[in-house]
Amino acid sequence: MYELSNVTKNYLKGSRTVTAVRDLNLVIGDGEWLAIQGRTGHGKSTLLHILGALDRPTAGTVTLADQDLTQLREAQVTRLRAQSIGFIFQTFNLVPTLSAAENVEAALVPLGIAPGQRHRRVIAALESVGLADRSRHLPSELSGGQQQRVAIARALVKEPMVLLADEPTGNLDEDTRDEITELLSRLWRDLGLTLVLVTHDSTVARRAQRIAVMHKGRLSIRRDARRPAS
Amino acid sequence: MFFFTYLRRELRHRMRQAVVTALGLALGIGLVITVTALSSGVRTAQGKVLGALFGVGTDITVTTPATPAATAGPGGGIGGFTPKPYAQHTDSLTSPTQGTLNVSAVAAIARLHDVSAAAGGLVLTEIKATIPGENTPLNPSELQPVQIPVNGVDLSHGAFGPLAAAQRVSGRGFAAADADANVAVADSAYAASHGLKTGSAVTIAGTRFTLIGIVRQAPGSNAPDLYIPLARAQALANGPGGNLKNKVNIIYVQAASAADVGTVTGEISRLLPKATVTNSASLANGVAGSLKTTAQLARSLGIWLAVLVLLAAVAVASLLTVATVSRRVREFGTLKALGWRSGRIAGQVMGETIAMGIAGAAAGIALGLAGAVAAAAAAPKLTATVQTANASGQGGFGGSAGAGGALFSGTVGGPMTTWANPNATHTVAVPFTAPVAISAIVVAVILAIAAAVIAGAAGGWRISRLRPADALAKVA
Repeated sequence: MYELSNVTKNYLKGSRTVTAVRDLNLVIGDGEWLAIQGRTGHGKSTLLHILGALDRPTAGTVTLADQDLTQLREAQVTRLRAQSIGFIFQTFNLVPTLSAAENVEAALVPLGIAPGQRHRRVIAALESVGLADRSRHLPSELSGGQQQRVAIARALVKEPMVLLADEPTGNLDEDTRDEITELLSRLWRDLGLTLVLVTHDSTVARRAQRIAVMHKGRLSIRRDARRPAS
Repeated sequence: MFFFTYLRRELRHRMRQAVVTALGLALGIGLVITVTALSSGVRTAQGKVLGALFGVGTDITVTTPATPAATAGPGGGIGGFTPKPYAQHTDSLTSPTQGTLNVSAVAAIARLHDVSAAAGGLVLTEIKATIPGENTPLNPSELQPVQIPVNGVDLSHGAFGPLAAAQRVSGRGFAAADADANVAVADSAYAASHGLKTGSAVTIAGTRFTLIGIVRQAPGSNAPDLYIPLARAQALANGPGGNLKNKVNIIYVQAASAADVGTVTGEISRLLPKATVTNSASLANGVAGSLKTTAQLARSLGIWLAVLVLLAAVAVASLLTVATVSRRVREFGTLKALGWRSGRIAGQVMGETIAMGIAGAAAGIALGLAGAVAAAAAAPKLTATVQTANASGQGGFGGSAGAGGALFSGTVGGPMTTWANPNATHTVAVPFTAPVAISAIVVAVILAIAAAVIAGAAGGWRISRLRPADALAKVA
């Protein structure tokens, strides 16, 4: 699915250059679940942004399904995100003025899907996360776990190839964390997704096939089970 | 449709900011409409004053000022009376405030290039006075002379000149056959105050005239009381230098086109260097009073105020939009992560500002209409003060017993300048309205939407520069 070769990402912080990702090489297989751990500020989110085509590396190549993301024009990258990549964020990032269903629908807007089909897919996505009965609720009327479920439905409604999750349980209590982790696990298994999940939480990371650790911009594989996820 | 759902929810969520933005635009638009209406009203009022003074179809008037030496000449006015033991009654038709021109000047002007037509006229005053006898003192009311403005009209040029804008109330107008007849047309106000009607008789310079018609002139026109054929006026009137046979004291000129008025004015000035050549522009400059003040106010302060408020509204709307975009960085970053194009997000923001612009335009139109109505209702009575020496108005004769007394002070037959004021002015009340034109409303709506588009563009610019990774990093 993904192939990263010699990827480096530098930032300018004032007059100082900061290397967030350093000479990284990584292959992520189709349908693989990779967990990335590491301390804050060591390049986990930067790597996730590069994988999600939200950011371009300073050097190296990133290939997704045989497309070199570093060579695509902005419009092509935008289309790729709309069609193939689903995002889940730690803070859910739901649009506060839109209902749960409308937040999910927002992911289908750039795909130009007809309203009727859009509605059916939204309902199906909300059902898959167990929130069909909350479709008209605003985010502020939902619990943290429910908001993250809406965010997961929004990420999956477009039927992406890849799901990228940035600390998806970071803002949740333990019980809710387990619920969300179980939900992600089920969806990964049922939908055959490629899942890349950034987390501090080892309990969550342990559910993945592989665990990688980012340290000072370098990636190392801590566990390569390549075994079926539990 | 998702676009409108999102737009509606956002506007409802940020109602206070939307209202502030819309009100700012509404204030600007309202001021533009009100000021435009005021300007239009002032222009209309000015047009009425100038049209009434100048007459329909007349582009230029040519007069010549009376000189003190000329006005004091023998036979001028009512001079030359020797006190008698008994009271004497006088009835004379004179040109007290203006000098005269030979009728040949009319033909010379008519021959000028760019002149469509020229017609002469006589602006006269019929003076009826009683001179006290040595042994027959009169009471003050009998001393007060009666003056009646009379115009001699060239009957061959009815399309312009003093009667061109007159509305016939009764009877008929002049016909070519009336050129040498003792017939007159009366102004409706004069006819009403003196109980005159068609067929009534009036005496001018001791000659009996029959009223053939009654006309109404526009308010503020300073119309004469009576009109008689030019030939009869020339035969009966006395001017500074004697009788006025083959004389006129005003020439009405019609230029070939409006664009030629300035050129023709210059040509006439060169042809008749001593004459006073007045066109509508120079006459407008001579209009004073609250009408002129209002016109200047509407032109300068009003328009600038409207422009400033509109600019301020655009600036506020733009700043608020950019501030909103900054507050919604996370939201827009997320949308970009979902695959929304920057243009689509900018379009969403543009839609929000345009909706605010439309609301502002609607409120602004209501404000503007209310402002125009209020301004017209609350406006003090406008007046225009116009110099009448060069137009069809009549010179002042005094009007108080004291001035009337001055007429006969000293040796009777003294200088006419004691009663003929060549710089006489008159002040007319001008009806004022502030009409709101459809075009002004259309322009206002366009301005409001343009302001909204500018504000939306400012937000769009901010969005286009927003990198999704940076936007998401701010909340990570």
